[in-house]
Amino acid sequence: MGILRALLVPFQAFNDAVLPVGRWVAIVAVALMVAVTLVQVFARYVLNSALPWPDEAARFMMLWMTGLMAPVAYRRGGFVAIDMLPRALPPAAAAALSLVLLAIAGVVLAFAVRIGWAEVTGFGGQFATASLYLPLPDGWFRIPRSWMMAAFLLGMVLLLIVNIELILRALLSLGGARDLKPLEAPPDEIMAE
Amino acid sequence: MLIWFLPVFLVFLLAGLPVFFGLLFAPGILLWLAGQERDLVLLYRNVYNGMDSFPLMAIPFFMLAGELMNKGGITLRLVEFSQALMGHFRGGLAHVNVLSSMLFAGLSGSAVADTSALGSMLIPAMEKQGYTRRFAAAITAASSVIGPIIPPSGIMIIYAYVMGESVAALFLAGIVPGVLVGLGLMAVVKVMADRYDFPVATRKQTWGERGRASLRAFFPLLTPVIIMGGILLGIFTPTEAAAVAVAYALFIGLFVMRTLKLSEIPEVLSRAAITSAVVLLLVGAAMAFKTVVSLSHAPEMMAAFILSLTDNPLILLFLINLLLFAVGMFLDAGPAIIILGPILGPVFVGMGVDPIHFAIIMSVNLTVGLATPPMGLVLFVASSVSGEKVETISRAILPFLAVEILMIFLITYIPAISMTVPRLTGFAD
Amino acid sequence: QEYTLRATANSNEQDEDYDGLIVFKDYVERASNGQIAVELFIGTQLCSNGAECLQGVADGSIDIFIATSGGASGIFPFIQVLDLPYLMDNDRVAEGVLENGSPFVTTMQDMVSETSGDQIKLMTIGNTGGWRNFANTERRIQTPADLEGLKIRTVVADLPQELVKAMGASPTPIPWPELFTSFQTGVVEGTQNGITDIMGMKFPDAGLKYITLDGHSYMGALWFMNAEAFRSMPEDLQQVVSDGFYQLQQATFASPKRKSIDAYREFAEAGGDVYTPSAEEKQAFKDAAAPVYDWFKQNVEGGEEAYDALTRTVEQVTHEIDTSRAQLMK
Ligand code: NA
Ligand code: NA
Repeated sequence: MGILRALLVPFQAFNDAVLPVGRWVAIVAVALMVAVTLVQVFARYVLNSALPWPDEAARFMMLWMTGLMAPVAYRRGGFVAIDMLPRALPPAAAAALSLVLLAIAGVVLAFAVRIGWAEVTGFGGQFATASLYLPLPDGWFRIPRSWMMAAFLLGMVLLLIVNIELILRALLSLGGARDLKPLEAPPDEIMAE
Repeated sequence: MLIWFLPVFLVFLLAGLPVFFGLLFAPGILLWLAGQERDLVLLYRNVYNGMDSFPLMAIPFFMLAGELMNKGGITLRLVEFSQALMGHFRGGLAHVNVLSSMLFAGLSGSAVADTSALGSMLIPAMEKQGYTRRFAAAITAASSVIGPIIPPSGIMIIYAYVMGESVAALFLAGIVPGVLVGLGLMAVVKVMADRYDFPVATRKQTWGERGRASLRAFFPLLTPVIIMGGILLGIFTPTEAAAVAVAYALFIGLFVMRTLKLSEIPEVLSRAAITSAVVLLLVGAAMAFKTVVSLSHAPEMMAAFILSLTDNPLILLFLINLLLFAVGMFLDAGPAIIILGPILGPVFVGMGVDPIHFAIIMSVNLTVGLATPPMGLVLFVASSVSGEKVETISRAILPFLAVEILMIFLITYIPAISMTVPRLTGFAD
Repeated sequence: QEYTLRATANSNEQDEDYDGLIVFKDYVERASNGQIAVELFIGTQLCSNGAECLQGVADGSIDIFIATSGGASGIFPFIQVLDLPYLMDNDRVAEGVLENGSPFVTTMQDMVSETSGDQIKLMTIGNTGGWRNFANTERRIQTPADLEGLKIRTVVADLPQELVKAMGASPTPIPWPELFTSFQTGVVEGTQNGITDIMGMKFPDAGLKYITLDGHSYMGALWFMNAEAFRSMPEDLQQVVSDGFYQLQQATFASPKRKSIDAYREFAEAGGDVYTPSAEEKQAFKDAAAPVYDWFKQNVEGGEEAYDALTRTVEQVTHEIDTSRAQLMK
């Protein structure tokens, strides 16, 4: 138990510190998504001259929003699941089942991180985005597709770290710990779902 | 070998694995066992690519618009407006509940948002007037399924995305069916109100009072007009319409009604983002799942099986409704559409069912599934909003479900219900 | 069988890509005596755009894929040389230029191999959808001036946007699935597509009414293959696959011609207006497009090399055609 608790500390601290930062970046990303889409409507309808980049820029933001918000949702128990069986089982069996399910999720995530790394650093990442440029001192820099793909990879990495925290917590509560820090959303930001 | 993906998926789903992981684990493990490791990459890639889509952006946008309207007190004005129109009937607040949902549906694309926004307001109000809490929660849940039937609609955006249909056409096709479901629910309320002597909510309002309530609800009620009008006039695409709805909600919340504070906006953005992130991941995973489905040749086998049952499209439509209904009881509408749409759609379109009509059959059926025990999502939301147990709400909702099932069959067998509006506007032939 | 080739095209079974694949599959399976099996995935089941699919080809989860030049431009930008307007006059020239072994095709193959680190081979260049023409919902286009101010749908890529701008029209990026509705509602007024795609998507139902047969660019179909999958075969099977791609190319050259006859008839029956510009009018289009050539050479990586290879080959092929015509006519 002592070892488990010691293990939990860094993961919990990491998620406590990093996920809120991601949440704020995602908030900005959503606002920008709306803004660039409106800019396009304005440019096309009012100025009669559509811009090449808002479509792709908005998708860029959406992917980052998803990658950064998904771990927040997962940690709060916001992933859609059918919890009929876990709720019908006696507590000990339910805890064992949830441990198995978390392990499966961990396998999926571990594979995703491994493949995702190869994807971002591989051939697919070398593609250029169709219309996104960054102004640099020595001219326009064309943003590669890997910057978009990285959003999903980072999401998978953060999900994996959350998943490890959840496994440690499940082990601890299976061992009788009742004093774990609650992970639900703070009351002022209850989820819309 | 691969054909086992569906049973494996269902087993883990029922055991409580989050749908996102289930959609990836079931095909993944089979591919791995079959030694097709190169296809695991395909699975990963399709999750990413499934999310990387412009039309899908409408999902976070409409969610955001709904959140902003709610925060900005727009929901309250819709309820007041409904009350001015229908409050004096017997069972007034129950009627108001249904009518508010129909109006709210024009602003929001999600049944869950409807339940939580209207439920938190109307369930306590109904209780205070002497309705049982379970009845109040049941009518809230039952009427919230109108949300994704009347445009805008998250489910139809997903359907159009997966099946390559026109979002505008689906939106237009959903209007009449949505209104019809609402009227059906009102009919049930009327019958029950007479039998159980439900309370009236208010005295009959004068036309002056009604006028004032309409005026107060004017800007919110303009939202669907702006959304559909802008799409039809070519000012923006359906996806952009969703962003415009956000801007409009912000505008009236901040400047017209002044009920929204600037400091509240980050929180609203955060909620919309967190909800959409979960939905988008699901859409991505379902697209990846679909890839493996097609590698397994399941669609062809399924189609052959369906067609071997009977070649009478009317009977097949009946069977499909049963299937969808059963699926809807366990699975969310979005993932269900992504998984089943590509399998079922071509079979029925091949038999001469209009693709838009089939889209509506499927969407309405699966949407009603959201309010169906045991796994209907809005039942759980209604439960958390009202504090009533899911089991209790599930029993109380049965009469409403009965009429919704009746509506599903009407919509299935009378294509004109869905097709007339898109045909009149030139969006279907 | 010892080898299974997984081939995919993001179109449908009405498309010429499918015709090509059917011919390929039939030839390769027969000529290899069943040693090679070809599995076809038509549509977006495996991957849904150029970037994703080429990534699949590079890592071997997909063996064969057909990309348009726009679809491949994210990684092979020089390939957009095919989209440069008015460089090839007609099918006969184009088919000569795209013959495997021509200086142009050889240059493209070398550049593809080099850019992809030898992971992807460009097997052949066929056709998908004939020629791009300007089509719109508003009016008959006879000269570039008629395009002035029209909102023309383009893919999200520089070159097509530069072309539309050069013509004085307003390039408007609209995703393909949203295009039908966008015509209906007037978000865009025109597009650059082949007639078979226009009819396949039923655009006339959405109000598309005028086509000008300016034939500004040849809709090349780039057939890519995973290099390792090809190299892992013994020589005799490599030969079968090479010949299979030749058969495929010939099928995709022929298919749009046959299909476009019905498509044009249907278009006319739906009340469509087909206009063939005169030689002078076509020259006016060509003159208006001139800035695009320089833009391409200066801004696109490998653009200069690709442009030179194409124009040189066009000259050579035109000369050959003239010679063979003269032979018949003497
Ligand atoms: Na709605
Ligand atoms: Na309601």
